[in-house]
Amino acid sequence: MKPYKIIGWLVVIGLIGAICPLDRSVEYDRLVLGLQQPTPWFQIAAREGGGDKELAITGVTGVIVGAALGGFREVAASMLWMKTHEYWHKGEGLQAKALWIMRLVTLLDPHWLEPWRITAWHLAYNLYVETDDPAMRAKYLQMGVDCLKEGVSWNPDRYDLYLELGWTYFDKVEDFEEANKWFRAAMRYPHPDYVDRLVGHAYERMPDIPQALDAYDYCLKRDPHDGTAKGATLTIRERYLRPWHLTEAGDYDAALDAINEYVLAQPRSTLGLHMKGYVAEQAGRLRLAYDTWKLAADTSALDFLAQRKVVELGHQLGIPVEDTAQYLYMQRVGKEMKVTVPGREKLEH
Amino acid sequence: MVGADWPAATGRCFAISLAIKTENLSKIYSHDATGRPVGLVDLSLEVEEGQVFGLLGPNGSGKTTTLKLLLGLIFPTAGKGEIFGHPLGSNAYKERIGFLPEGPYFYEHLNGIELLSFYGSLFGMGGGRLAARVEELLHLVGMWDRRFIRVRDYSRGMRQRIGAAQAMINDPDLLFLDELTSGLDPIGAMEMHKLILELRDQGKTVFLCSHLLKDMEPLCDRVIILNRGQMCETGAVRDLLRVENQYRLAVSNFSDDLSRRLVALAQRTEPEEGLLAAYFADQNAALSAAQEASAAGAVIEELGTHHRTLEEVFIEAVGGEE
Amino acid sequence: MRPIFRVARATFHEAWRRRFLNGILVFAILIIGSSWVFAYLQPGAELQMVIDIGLGSIRFFGMLIAVFLGTRLIPDEIERRTIHTILAKPVSRAQFVFGKFLGGAGTVAANLLLMGIAFYIVFAIKAPQLQAQKPEDALIFAAMYSNIAKAILLSFFEIFLVLGIAVVASTLFSWVLSVIFTFVIYFVGQMSDFFQQLADPERGASKAAQILLGTIYRILPHFEIFDIREAILQGTYTPWTTILRIIGQGVAYLVVVLLIGYLVFNEREV
Repeated sequence: MKPYKIIGWLVVIGLIGAICPLDRSVEYDRLVLGLQQPTPWFQIAAREGGGDKELAITGVTGVIVGAALGGFREVAASMLWMKTHEYWHKGEGLQAKALWIMRLVTLLDPHWLEPWRITAWHLAYNLYVETDDPAMRAKYLQMGVDCLKEGVSWNPDRYDLYLELGWTYFDKVEDFEEANKWFRAAMRYPHPDYVDRLVGHAYERMPDIPQALDAYDYCLKRDPHDGTAKGATLTIRERYLRPWHLTEAGDYDAALDAINEYVLAQPRSTLGLHMKGYVAEQAGRLRLAYDTWKLAADTSALDFLAQRKVVELGHQLGIPVEDTAQYLYMQRVGKEMKVTVPGREKLEH
Repeated sequence: MVGADWPAATGRCFAISLAIKTENLSKIYSHDATGRPVGLVDLSLEVEEGQVFGLLGPNGSGKTTTLKLLLGLIFPTAGKGEIFGHPLGSNAYKERIGFLPEGPYFYEHLNGIELLSFYGSLFGMGGGRLAARVEELLHLVGMWDRRFIRVRDYSRGMRQRIGAAQAMINDPDLLFLDELTSGLDPIGAMEMHKLILELRDQGKTVFLCSHLLKDMEPLCDRVIILNRGQMCETGAVRDLLRVENQYRLAVSNFSDDLSRRLVALAQRTEPEEGLLAAYFADQNAALSAAQEASAAGAVIEELGTHHRTLEEVFIEAVGGEE
Repeated sequence: MRPIFRVARATFHEAWRRRFLNGILVFAILIIGSSWVFAYLQPGAELQMVIDIGLGSIRFFGMLIAVFLGTRLIPDEIERRTIHTILAKPVSRAQFVFGKFLGGAGTVAANLLLMGIAFYIVFAIKAPQLQAQKPEDALIFAAMYSNIAKAILLSFFEIFLVLGIAVVASTLFSWVLSVIFTFVIYFVGQMSDFFQQLADPERGASKAAQILLGTIYRILPHFEIFDIREAILQGTYTPWTTILRIIGQGVAYLVVVLLIGYLVFNEREV
């Protein structure tokens, strides 16, 4: 080879090496700015192995696969997403192939919030109602929650998925403690007003009156014209504050009387019944608690907390009860309730 | 000359300077079934400045290969060469040369003016000077009236003309012309020949490639004849065409007696249209035969050294190769 | 040096007339314009789709133009033999290659500019509507105007790099092979982080694999650096130092590619 060629190739190699530090500084910049979007190849590959390959291929055309490579992942994700819409409108929206595509979309474009939300919604809500088996329902709830948790891990500084997660806990599981954890997370980022109020609503239902008042107080400080918060504060003060204080003081009978005042007037009030059930539990009067929660559960089919309490208390009291999905869910995550009464182990039948 | 730092060589100087020189220049592409190399083999030539040099031979003999080697478009497998003292392929001599390839092929979307301006700009020419030069050349090759027509609409002859123009855009000292007259009608061909002679008169060197031997005869000073990539004959045209010791006497209006007499005296005779041609080995013999013929009342049509044609030279040279 | 620009200008004028490329351009602008309509199909993801389809189209069609123009620039000259009269003039092969590339880059840049303007118009019209729907994203929208302009600027250099690779590939391979080669390098370069992941010792990569994959990663152009979509959607301000570093890396790699092209083409017989 002629000398100039040897030198030329050495310069080429040298330049490629010299680009290294520039490459690293660019990489660092992109990391800091959050521009890095490492493709979850290994997760996608794992998916491929786990899913039903035959079903998968029907949904994914060659064009989309080709576009998935390169920087057109997001466009491919959009196209796949439109395909799931197609399935939905054809009535096949909940079939395995649609779900597989939905998950693939979340992997291709993890920073796009909508697929996470919709996929979780399909799992926790739509697939949930497709089956009557509580165990399956619990499984779907968990899958929905896990899906949102993964979404959150990809998008830790957007309020959206924290809110969805919190709402799922609030609405479908009625684990208000957990719900608030996530609502509070959502509040750390720019978010709409109602998120703050949801914290209060959650505490109201648990019930945890001081915390609820605290939450509404925060809302009012943030926006003195917040009508809902104002109304809620007044309502709580009027109805639930006294029974709460009395319970705290240990004067359970007085507390029950106080809450009964309201409950008798409004027998279908969810919050009232929750409060009463809580007082009964604290008093150690588990049978009363059981009956109260049962009333609440019968009053509102969507009162999952009440249903769960019924199951928990029923197990404790030895009353034959059917496990609900939410109960089984809490069991799965190791959060089934054990009634602990401060200072009193007495069980009353 | 445009952009040149080199001393001009006009006509014959005291020290003969070479425009082109090659030593065993070879470009072997492959070997054929009989083991003979395919391409150009061992070409050594010298072209003096101010000459018109012909590289002649049938198609496929390696003329275009030689041309491309000289211009640095392809690279030799062996041997070397120089143009104006610079090695083949270097940019240094390209300022002083012009090239008209066979075809020729140009950017289709340009018109005459744009094309010539483009080529001129490659030499660093520009502005008014370039425009003037372009106009001058367009007139010279007879394309001025058609200067706005785009190359894609050119006839073969027009391409040839504009090709000649671009080859001369830089007023080169050395012109390479490949099949100059291909596609031209006889008048166009004649114009081209006239141009070459004019260039020689200006002291320029012209390197011609052609297979049209008859046309080359009056133009070239020296030739090399190629066949199958190898040189089979070279020399000054005058020398090649001259036949040693052959004198020709052609008479008309002759009697049978005279013709018998000439047949006896001459080496050979050949009847030609209305003439009798007799060939003598000796000038004196030819002269005395002429006197006899004249005395017998015949008309002396021709008397002198016998010249061959380039075609005859070629056939002989190629035949010798077989 | 001047012959480079003369060749470049001639190349630009010739390339601009190629109907096939102009067809791609028109098609691209239509797609960008129609992203308006696409967006309506997807309530809730409108902004995302406008940006993805818009920027994606610019990059995709820009890449197509670069590949189909770049792989033909030099072979056409050789096949049509127009190169002979040019190289017989005092134009070195290096000047010729760089001039062709520069002319091609000019053509590509003009195309990208038109597409970029079309997209920016669509975006500027759509943005206020979308912002009204989601006022909490005000900060994101504020940064978006400059971010999108920067993204378009980066796509110029991304496509220049593709063009460089296409031109050099055409000096090495046949046309079909050079097209395939360029596409492969482009797509593989987009996922270069994959090689980084594979070469990660924590994933159980052997020493040999680390070296091999690490080398591949080093040699490949990292096309993903030109992608600042995240910043656009999150409203992060991308500082000019970062943008310039990215452009710098792109240009550095382009220099390497063109240098390789020079080394190859210098010995190329025409």
